[in-house]
Amino acid sequence: MKHKKFLALLLSVLMLATCSVTAFAAGNDVVEITYSYWGTPDEAASVQAVADKFNSENDHIHVTVLAIPNEEYTTTLNSMAAGNQLPDCGIMNENGVLDFAADGLLADVSSMYDGAASMPLDSITFKADGAPVAYSAANEILFLYYNKDMFDAAGVAYPDPVTPYTWDEFVETAKLLTLDGNGNNAASPDFDANNVVQYGANVDNWTWQLEVWALSNGGRWFSEDGAECLINTPEVAESIQKVADLYLVDHVAQFRDGLEDSGIQSTIAAGNVAMATGGTWNVGTCMNNVEFPYGVAPLPVMKNEVTICTGGPQVVFAQGEHQAEAMEFIKWYTKEENSWDSLIATGIWMPILEEYYTNEELTHKWVDNDNFTMGYDNFKTSVVDYAHDYAVSTCWYYVPHTNEFLAYLRSILGDVWTGSTTAADALNAGEATLIDIFNGE
Amino acid sequence: MPKKTKHRNALLRSENRTAYLCLIPSIIGLIFLTYLPLLEVFGLSFFSWKGNGFDTFQFVGMKNYVKLLTTDPYFKESVAVTVYYTFIAVVGSMIYSLIIALLLNRKIPARGFWRAIFYLPYLLPAVAVYLGWNWLYNINYGLFNFIINRVFGWPRVGFVNDAKLVAPSLALVAVWLSGNLIVIFLAGLQNVPRTYLEAAEVDGATSWQRFWNITIPCMSPIIFYNLLMALITNLQVITPALALTKGGPGNSSRFVSYVLYQYAFENRKFGLAAAVAVMMFILIGVFTVILFATSRSWMFSEGGDD
Repeated sequence: MKHKKFLALLLSVLMLATCSVTAFAAGNDVVEITYSYWGTPDEAASVQAVADKFNSENDHIHVTVLAIPNEEYTTTLNSMAAGNQLPDCGIMNENGVLDFAADGLLADVSSMYDGAASMPLDSITFKADGAPVAYSAANEILFLYYNKDMFDAAGVAYPDPVTPYTWDEFVETAKLLTLDGNGNNAASPDFDANNVVQYGANVDNWTWQLEVWALSNGGRWFSEDGAECLINTPEVAESIQKVADLYLVDHVAQFRDGLEDSGIQSTIAAGNVAMATGGTWNVGTCMNNVEFPYGVAPLPVMKNEVTICTGGPQVVFAQGEHQAEAMEFIKWYTKEENSWDSLIATGIWMPILEEYYTNEELTHKWVDNDNFTMGYDNFKTSVVDYAHDYAVSTCWYYVPHTNEFLAYLRSILGDVWTGSTTAADALNAGEATLIDIFNGE
Repeated sequence: MPKKTKHRNALLRSENRTAYLCLIPSIIGLIFLTYLPLLEVFGLSFFSWKGNGFDTFQFVGMKNYVKLLTTDPYFKESVAVTVYYTFIAVVGSMIYSLIIALLLNRKIPARGFWRAIFYLPYLLPAVAVYLGWNWLYNINYGLFNFIINRVFGWPRVGFVNDAKLVAPSLALVAVWLSGNLIVIFLAGLQNVPRTYLEAAEVDGATSWQRFWNITIPCMSPIIFYNLLMALITNLQVITPALALTKGGPGNSSRFVSYVLYQYAFENRKFGLAAAVAVMMFILIGVFTVILFATSRSWMFSEGGDD
């Protein structure tokens, strides 16, 4: 009996406590929002530190960072969307942005830069029917990294920081830098292609990056207005074949299956490749750990000088109740000063506002630091100016269904990399399906 | 009715009640976590849904199934690839695990140690296993290619990068992973009546004759069970595609489960993914029925046809 009384008392106390906590919470007007981010728990901790800065400056919004591993990011967001459980805001993979927007999963961002002095670069603005639906949080372009030690050892001049190689010059240089076990380079008649110990070049064949070679070779995957799929043309086929031939014919590149984003970690950063194409993010994510001096240069040119730019956007998802608060956080977060130390000064992100590319004082502020080991002049001419003058939007800024499109393109190009078929034959065989996917069927 | 029987009936009824009571949690679990989702998947396969709110379902009838069987760029090839992979993996792992079980059933030194060694791969986390095998298979820096190319000077072999070799290469990993089959075979081998074997030995039967005419028939129910389990598990294969090959090169390791995953979680085409799931269910069902139907002619059952 005594026990029962005690239990009843305990339950009443607990109930009272719960009620008062709930009442307290209800009286407190802090809105809880979640921000999703791709990356490791360490990266999430640094993003949470940025969010905490926002939290300390705001008494009515509290942001919690939800870290999702990079490789599962798209699939996790898709599952969350299906369960009506999307976070309030977050960063997004570029290839899903227009589809999310078309399916009503993104909130309107038209007020994001209201009253701002400088607008984000037009090339990194996601547009549906010409209207902006999201802005990239960073600007990332593709360019050429090279290992200076390997050039010195071969007695070959470094790539020019302003004038790019023609494709043929690039292949010839790569041959001089490709060495077999006996020390012969790929231009030598004694070269043994079966026993290569150092490769001259690696052009990343991770599918989305191939678009730059189509543009370079005078072709396009899609018309400029995004209304037409033009992928099956001789220019596009030739551009892909040239990349494949670096391994198949010229023997200057490692085999790459193009199936996943293994980046330059396994090529130039691993110390067995002299030149490799890569994105700006590599400056801060892997080239900061290499032990050899490296330089950067514009991409080689097939016909036109061009690079492509990209960057995941910060978005507000349309399923949450607190879209206004989420927008307030995103507006705060996308200000350069708030991601400066962890992302921009480290070289992982390039700023999105045009003034950093046109006002040299700001460029100095951004690039003049120890993380840019190739030196201010090299980075300024070969990346900053190059990005400003030659970068065009990757297709996912203006074409929907690119996730599915790239997945199918990746599947039909598998046999091109191994040499079992040609790029022209693969595109001929896959064209109808690619167009179906482009049309959303 | 005699009093005793009445009492027994009451007891039975009460026992039944208890049994049903105890079964309630699992029945609820089965209904809500298995059968209802199964029905939902079946229902969903007749809709188009992009996962954007519950008011956006669009009834499309048989369209998803028609697409899979006609214009879909992945499905038909994925069925062929899955069946091919399953065939190699099932046959390989049955032969491998039976041979290993026979060896481990002999009186060899440190038998417990060897049994643990062969069972160990089965306990390792699947993704770690495939990443480990990637270091063996990798065309640029893998151990196998180091031996082939650097030691012997032969051209590199593409293992998981070669459309023709990828399914056998992945099936080899599945064979290596089949430690659970070994354990079940071992248990079965220990139940083969020693008297039959001894009698046959006295009659002058060779070890092959004893194996073929006594061990195998006595083991046939175990072989059937292992075959069924290996068949179902391998037809559902997805881990190597997720962890290692992303379905490539081309579509040569794009298994049916991977196509399902791709449509549902990468492309948000949940209706189409549900149709793939239903087709996969049918595929596994057909193979299971074939296996059951043929088992009557080769499975030896001591207890008769109950």
